[in-house]
Amino acid sequence: VLVSMICSPPQNYPLYIRSVPTENELKFHYTVHTSLDVVDEKISAMGKALVDQRELYLGLLYPTEDYKVYGYVTNSKVKFVMVVDSSNTALRDNEIRSMFRKLHNSYTDIMCNPFYNPGDRIHSRAFDNMVNSMMMQVC
Amino acid sequence: SGELFVLTYGALVAQLCKDYEKDEDVNTCLDRMGYGIGVRLIDDFLARSAVKKCRSYSETANMIAQVAFKMYLGVTPTVSCSSAAGNEFSLILDKNPLVDFVEELPAERASLCYCNLLCGVIRGALEMVHLPAEVTFLQDRLKGDAVTEIGITFLRKAEDRKHRRN
Repeated sequence: VLVSMICSPPQNYPLYIRSVPTENELKFHYTVHTSLDVVDEKISAMGKALVDQRELYLGLLYPTEDYKVYGYVTNSKVKFVMVVDSSNTALRDNEIRSMFRKLHNSYTDIMCNPFYNPGDRIHSRAFDNMVNSMMMQVC
Repeated sequence: SGELFVLTYGALVAQLCKDYEKDEDVNTCLDRMGYGIGVRLIDDFLARSAVKKCRSYSETANMIAQVAFKMYLGVTPTVSCSSAAGNEFSLILDKNPLVDFVEELPAERASLCYCNLLCGVIRGALEMVHLPAEVTFLQDRLKGDAVTEIGITFLRKAEDRKHRRN
């Protein structure tokens, strides 16, 4: 099971959410929303630290009963959240990091599209394909 | 700096789309802007490339594709002559740097010619060297075609007819 979501400040509403498989989607929406608080906590804890690649990746936010939640925040304070099954022990830290990096790169491509207004929901086909292939690899 | 140019062009088109409701208006505006750029760009081009006078339409078309496009956009379209009279050519671009970040046209802008500025530039430049022409997009990747094709139709002028009598 894998869920990913992208939220943007300041209202933190989701720009994109996708889960595989798609049942129980509401529960994941809830999990991701609650994890946003943890993300905000981590960001404020970092204070005035210089942001480099390592600090963009927030790591394991908190483990719940059967899920692990990972976070990543960009310099522009756009938050990426990923929820994975705890049973999926094969997923290692650097794999998660590379997934976040791919998400970030695709997100930058979307931002460069002149017809995309920042704050809109993301409807790009290329982005959907990238997320799908990434999730298929994991599940 | 190539990316800055592409992003600037994108912002320009997006702003025009906000200003004008109809696609044809945006296309016309882009063409007019391109024309203004073309009539000025031709001098820069001639100064930098130091090419000799072209003696035929096909030489001109080749010059545009191989020298001008290469110089300003970094790509070289292929030229093909599409009429027996020798005055219609098409430039086929399989890579168009201007649309690098644009995935597809938004649904409400289906007939927008995103790169119409290029048509205006070519038209303006040709007119300044006394070769009036009509330049349009024949195929556009953003609209689902396989390649992007720009058609140049050289219009006959009076001097030309004098030539042909010989």
